[in-house]
Amino acid sequence: MGVGFVVGVLGVLILSHAAYSTIQYRALLKITEEEFSGPPINVVVELIAGLMLCMWAALTVPGKFLSILPHSDENRVVALPENLDFMIFNHRGKAIPMGIDAKLK
Amino acid sequence: MAGRVDSDKVKEKASDNLNDLPTFHAENMQNNAKVMYYSRTFMSIIGGVVAGILGLTGLMGFVFYFLIMGITSVGLAAKAGFSIHSYFDSWNKILLDGFFGGLMSFVLFWTFAYDIVHIF
Repeated sequence: MGVGFVVGVLGVLILSHAAYSTIQYRALLKITEEEFSGPPINVVVELIAGLMLCMWAALTVPGKFLSILPHSDENRVVALPENLDFMIFNHRGKAIPMGIDAKLK
Repeated sequence: MAGRVDSDKVKEKASDNLNDLPTFHAENMQNNAKVMYYSRTFMSIIGGVVAGILGLTGLMGFVFYFLIMGITSVGLAAKAGFSIHSYFDSWNKILLDGFFGGLMSFVLFWTFAYDIVHIF
């Protein structure tokens, strides 16, 4: 989380530097009275670099994907609740064949 | 001996253990949707700022937005390791969810950056 955050901030700083460069470029164009057709090449390279860094940060900072399959290894519910006084285990359920494979870790 | 109950709730919609997988871990599904939403929103904002700096106007800006969203979708699919089915229940979710939700943020930051860089 820390590294991704720093990378994201770095990307935003690069983008703001590119914005500042473009503002200065436009001021220069205003002096020479030319049309603005696009920012200079180094600004475009800087924008692409900032975009790549921000994209990396956007994919790593919000957190990991968690598995949604109910039978995967990290989704096991292995603890017993506290209200065992209200739970009866000696019932007719033991006559029903169960299809689960109960494996201990 | 009796530990605390796990706070994850698995909502069982099928009563038979031998069914296919119609049930999913609801809390993790929400977490995955939240992660995707944050990623897409952030990329919409960054895309808007870049579009404003580049001086894009009109249709080209929206084309740029769809390009950014497409790249973000590919990035999210890569983050899930391309094995989508263990994190989402369908391909549509990872490719299309939040596609248009970020459009408003994109336009806001696009006009914002364009004004700052090109007008003032």
